Amino acid sequence: MTEGTMQFKFNFEGNKKVQEILTEVYNALKEKGYNPINQLVGYILSGDPTYITSYKNARSLIRKIERDELLEELLRSYLER
Amino acid sequence: MDKLQIEGGRKLYGEVTIGGAKNAAVAILPASLLIDEGVCNIDNIPDIKDIKCLENIMVDLGVSLTSERDGHVKINPSSIKTHVAHGENVRSMRASYYLLGALLGKYNKAEVEFPGGCSIGVRPIDQHIKGFEALGAKVTIEHGYIRAEAPNGLKGANIYLDVVSVGATINIMLAAVKAKGTTVIENAAKEPHVVDVANFLNSMGANIKGAGTDVIKIVGVDKLKGCDYSVIPDQIEAGTYMVAAAITKGDVLIKNVIPKHLESITAKLLEMGVNIEEYEDSLRVYCKQRPKAVNIKTLPYPGFPTDIQQPFTTLLSVSEGRSIVTESIWEGRFKHVDELKRMGANIKVEGKVAIIDGVEKLSGAEVMATDLRGGAALVIAGLAAEGVTTVTHVKHIDRGYEKIEEKLRKLGASIIRIIDKKYE
Repeated sequence: MTEGTMQFKFNFEGNKKVQEILTEVYNALKEKGYNPINQLVGYILSGDPTYITSYKNARSLIRKIERDELLEELLRSYLER
Repeated sequence: MDKLQIEGGRKLYGEVTIGGAKNAAVAILPASLLIDEGVCNIDNIPDIKDIKCLENIMVDLGVSLTSERDGHVKINPSSIKTHVAHGENVRSMRASYYLLGALLGKYNKAEVEFPGGCSIGVRPIDQHIKGFEALGAKVTIEHGYIRAEAPNGLKGANIYLDVVSVGATINIMLAAVKAKGTTVIENAAKEPHVVDVANFLNSMGANIKGAGTDVIKIVGVDKLKGCDYSVIPDQIEAGTYMVAAAITKGDVLIKNVIPKHLESITAKLLEMGVNIEEYEDSLRVYCKQRPKAVNIKTLPYPGFPTDIQQPFTTLLSVSEGRSIVTESIWEGRFKHVDELKRMGANIKVEGKVAIIDGVEKLSGAEVMATDLRGGAALVIAGLAAEGVTTVTHVKHIDRGYEKIEEKLRKLGASIIRIIDKKYE
């Protein structure tokens, strides 16, 4: 893991896909100089893939998860930690 | 003025790569004026006339700007010498009004000659002015110029837009990005290019949240810096090639698109019986039979885009059955219909509604591009028509379509440009 790379930790196996995708998208955004949290929040709120860079295939990756599932996993991960 | 001559009846086959979004790029270039240090390296800038005009305007302002053939533009605004933009280039395009927001945001004062652009109806800038005034600027219109000035600086404010306006949303973001305090734009436009401009500004160090929703929050920052950025693909150019593939009963892979941005167009084409396969950043559009009639109504994003209504009307003119097109954004957006009628289309316009009874085929004729998207609609008609179509006043099409004849020729169309030496 390079310095500054974010790892999202979820509590159970079922959301491994979300964890992997979110981590890859986060890192791609960071490498391109964005504030990854702001960009991901923007995407979750609006649904517009413009928020997600096409770098490292991040834009395609994020679309593999439905936004409601993504939000569910984030809330579950936060509330159950 | 140049003409495009098209020998119709050829199916389009192959791949076409979509350029950068015109409507994003024309706002992103002025936005780069706001930086206080560094340079902006922007990729995927489309090779179109409106961009060339804008680049000329920025050079006239004193900006150091290098434009390369591959769509890369490098901008260093440190040598900018004036807050006044005027001249033929300013008057020839609509988006020159973004200089108002950018210069006001940078210098707390701006003077820009009244913008031009396509004649597609009354295009007021009252919501832009309302926004600037809410931020503390005094705005006057005199002698063909719009002047905005805030001697005591701009201050954040809550601004409710009376109508959803992409231009006003972006212009207010540009002005507010360095204002003191927080600005909230309510009833904001949600178009992808609004998000792209907000992304670009955030890459420069701005603090903008909520773009792409109807509430945008902008927390003013003291300084902005240069950045590297790539403009999103043009949804309207992509939609135009989708329609071209369908009307010629061709099979085209449209590359460099964001399929999400094309959902409303895709949905209508599917309803018409056109086949569409969606990939990560491309779409395959193919059609084997005559498309069926559908009704469309233009709406702000994510509704059906007004910019695609005109090309779509051409497709509906040869579809099976009766279609009703309701144009709810611009009242002057049926000017291409008279030209389509010359080619045999059966369309009746009543106010904001067009009733289209699809005909079996169109026939080639000399027609005039009355505006940008209307011009594209006539090129599409020419591709499908029997015989030769000549589209005059191509200058309108050149404002927004990158290398249109080159891209169509690569797909198998028979299209040539006849250059009018008188105007060279």
